Amino acid sequence: MTTLHDRGAAALPALRRFSRSTTMTLLCVVLAGYVALGISSSGSFFEGPSLRTFLQYLATPILIGLAQMVALCVGQLNLAVGALGGFSACLMGVLMADHGVPAGLAVLIGVLSATLIGLVTGVFIIATRINGFIVTLGTMTILLGAQYRLAGTRTIDGYSATLRDLGRAAPLNIPLVFVTALVAAALLAAFMYRTVAGRRLLAAGGNPLAARLSGISTDRQIVLAHTLSGLLIGIAALTATASLPGVNRSVGGDWLLPSFAAPIIGGVALTGGSVAVFGTVLASFVMRLIDTARAQFSLDPSWVNFLIGLVVLGTVVGGRIHQAHLGRRGGPPGRTPPVPPRSGPQPAGALPTTGGTR
Amino acid sequence: MSDVLPEDGLPEDGLPEDGLPEDGLPEDVLLECDHIVKVFPGVRALDGVGLRLTAGSVHALLGENGAGKSTLIKVITGVHTPDGGRLLWRGEEIHLRSPLEAARAGIGVVHQERNLIPGFSVAENITLQSPPSRRGLVDRAAMTGPARRCLAELGLDIDPDRPVRELSVAQQQLVEIAKALHTESRVLLLDEPTASLSPQEAERLFDVVRRLAERGTCVVFVSHKLEEVFAVCDTVTVLRDGRSVLESAPLAEHTQDDVVTLMVGRAHAVADMTPRTVDAAAAPALALTDVSTAAGHQDISLSVRPGEIVGLYGLVGAGRSELVKAVLGLDRVTGGEIRVYGEPARIGSPREALHKYGIGYLTENRKEEGVFLEQPIVRNITVTVWKKLARALGYVSSREERGVSEELVDRLGIRVSGLEQNAGELSGGNQQKVSLAKWLAADTRLLVVDEPTVGVDVRTKHAFHELIWELARGGLPILLISSDLAEMVTLADRVVVMADHRVRGEVANDHDYDRMSGKIIRIIHDRAVSVVPAKGATA
Repeated sequence: MTTLHDRGAAALPALRRFSRSTTMTLLCVVLAGYVALGISSSGSFFEGPSLRTFLQYLATPILIGLAQMVALCVGQLNLAVGALGGFSACLMGVLMADHGVPAGLAVLIGVLSATLIGLVTGVFIIATRINGFIVTLGTMTILLGAQYRLAGTRTIDGYSATLRDLGRAAPLNIPLVFVTALVAAALLAAFMYRTVAGRRLLAAGGNPLAARLSGISTDRQIVLAHTLSGLLIGIAALTATASLPGVNRSVGGDWLLPSFAAPIIGGVALTGGSVAVFGTVLASFVMRLIDTARAQFSLDPSWVNFLIGLVVLGTVVGGRIHQAHLGRRGGPPGRTPPVPPRSGPQPAGALPTTGGTR
Repeated sequence: MSDVLPEDGLPEDGLPEDGLPEDGLPEDVLLECDHIVKVFPGVRALDGVGLRLTAGSVHALLGENGAGKSTLIKVITGVHTPDGGRLLWRGEEIHLRSPLEAARAGIGVVHQERNLIPGFSVAENITLQSPPSRRGLVDRAAMTGPARRCLAELGLDIDPDRPVRELSVAQQQLVEIAKALHTESRVLLLDEPTASLSPQEAERLFDVVRRLAERGTCVVFVSHKLEEVFAVCDTVTVLRDGRSVLESAPLAEHTQDDVVTLMVGRAHAVADMTPRTVDAAAAPALALTDVSTAAGHQDISLSVRPGEIVGLYGLVGAGRSELVKAVLGLDRVTGGEIRVYGEPARIGSPREALHKYGIGYLTENRKEEGVFLEQPIVRNITVTVWKKLARALGYVSSREERGVSEELVDRLGIRVSGLEQNAGELSGGNQQKVSLAKWLAADTRLLVVDEPTVGVDVRTKHAFHELIWELARGGLPILLISSDLAEMVTLADRVVVMADHRVRGEVANDHDYDRMSGKIIRIIHDRAVSVVPAKGATA
């Protein structure tokens, strides 16, 4: 806190921006939700085992949310998140169980093949100029077929004990898989905010024309985004394989929609150019809290979907209202753009409304 | 600037000696354009343009709308590759394949369009071309220093860490200029840099421009404000119809009038049409009185009588299409009165404009707003009349649809293989006719025509002019927006001139191109100098 005080003048605007951001709101929601759950369970939710289960099943949602976020940041959609994750999870399982491949190697092959498939998807998109939505719709279906081919109707279990031990290991009741997800998130955040490559990615998503004029190849950024997305899905497949009792053809089947929900709740614009790593992680927390509350109060599972849907719509509508409010208070310019988007000067009002990087 | 030559020196491009300028090099020529040609589908945007940029000069690049200024800038900065001619950098031929190569060669630019990354900070935008970094990591501390320096040079007090999306339009434009300063180019092109600046901010920019020239940079200045041009520039090139009619001449030898005459030229042919009279006593079909809009228009008054073609002329960005869109209910009208055939009208949406007031709008943006490219012609034409054709439960008889469409296809002479052909398969001119046909199908009582002949060939253009003329003869009031002056002079009965979202004057058309163009251009240029509202400030 002393450093904040010292740098006072410089840090203050940044702090003010943060206090108004989606991330801040989410942080409050998560804390309040957590405390509320804890109290209503008369404290048992604060205890080790509960916390451990809570975090154990948070790793995969965080990773797939981040994987989708990376695609969104260049204005792409990745429909193959679940299928690719399921495929590489089954690939790891089959390699270990049926072919006796050592766990380390199997995991490496699984993660690498997910990355490679992401790369190929990206290259295909820029080579054919087909919309990423269509391409990933295609790869999704292909991968679902491949996953079924690998796993068939059985559930593959009994693979590497080491991997499963690691998957269940939780020093200080913090599961390793959760730590893995957090480390991946931290690295991704560092990549996005600190590295030249990450800034290029965001520049290309924020204003493709301006990026091109500044010598940034937007094509390369699309390939890079899909490759990174593939890598993160590969890691998600790893955490799933390690912590699930076994893998089968239904792994990944319910990943796609949460993968969109997390970044959208976290404040990422579908139009590209913004990322919110912390926001996406927090959004995964929110969704997990809802899920836990359902278990706690043995609510009907349909409530979870109902609530998550409401949260998605609520955050987006809330963001809009907030933005309009800021605009009215003499923020950015008064000259609102005409309704149909036209070329020419674009006042700030026309830009993505939910700012992730702020 | 030693890494200037990206060219690998393949011999087939001509001998290097060819590229050397005449002996002596009396002055330090940085960049030379030699008969540059650039062809876009259907139009020769540049047709043998020549330009010589010398170190230490401020060079004005002038021309009317569509004369080829922006295209030339895009060729020089590597955005477009020329289809003919040569670019010489210090006497040697270069081939710029990307904006980055141009930047590396020492050519910087501020384009007319905004080119900032909204979510990035001011400092990061300024250094976007070559972000300071250490081992792949962005060095934010090293960013703010140069950014502050560039901002200070423009006298700008903006926190370099602020995201640009929070800035006003004027501030954003200045940040772009700061970004161009950061590249430290030998040739710096500024395309309408003062468009959204206040006079004070513009004055500061001119100081910077003069300072850069003293340091040996060549600044190319594109502006429609002649007063500014004469204040800062020392050499001038005038483009007309993709050719340079005055090439790299000292500006001091020319008056503003000379330059206007050169820009306008006398090359335009104005087609003769059978005479058409307007009943001057008739009540106006559309009358705007002191209308202001949320888009920034103020005190707009104009009227269109039945059978009259009223032209709305102005430079790109004068707010003509925006005005019409506000009248049609696509933007908010904040003041004044609109009357349609004498009745006060409050139009909330284009739907109301069409069904309640009978106003049709032929958009300038044919492909996006004019036709449904993936739909058959019959559906494109009848979209405005489904309500009339519909029977119980909304059933629309395809026979009636065909009837309506066939009649219009005949009447407008649309060349189609059949009514089921998709509109996307038609030529530009025929698409435009389909776009018009739907308004005629709806029996509109007032037609707004926005840039009707952009991107169509000369013959279709003439046919289209005749069509519009005949519609007016039939009594239809027409409001014509066009940046093509020859088209204005051919068609309009009166020309209303707009600049900066205001009406600047009105000229009765005598169909004499030279006289008309002179009058109109003078109205725009005279006024554009004295009134430079700070657009960013008007809320």
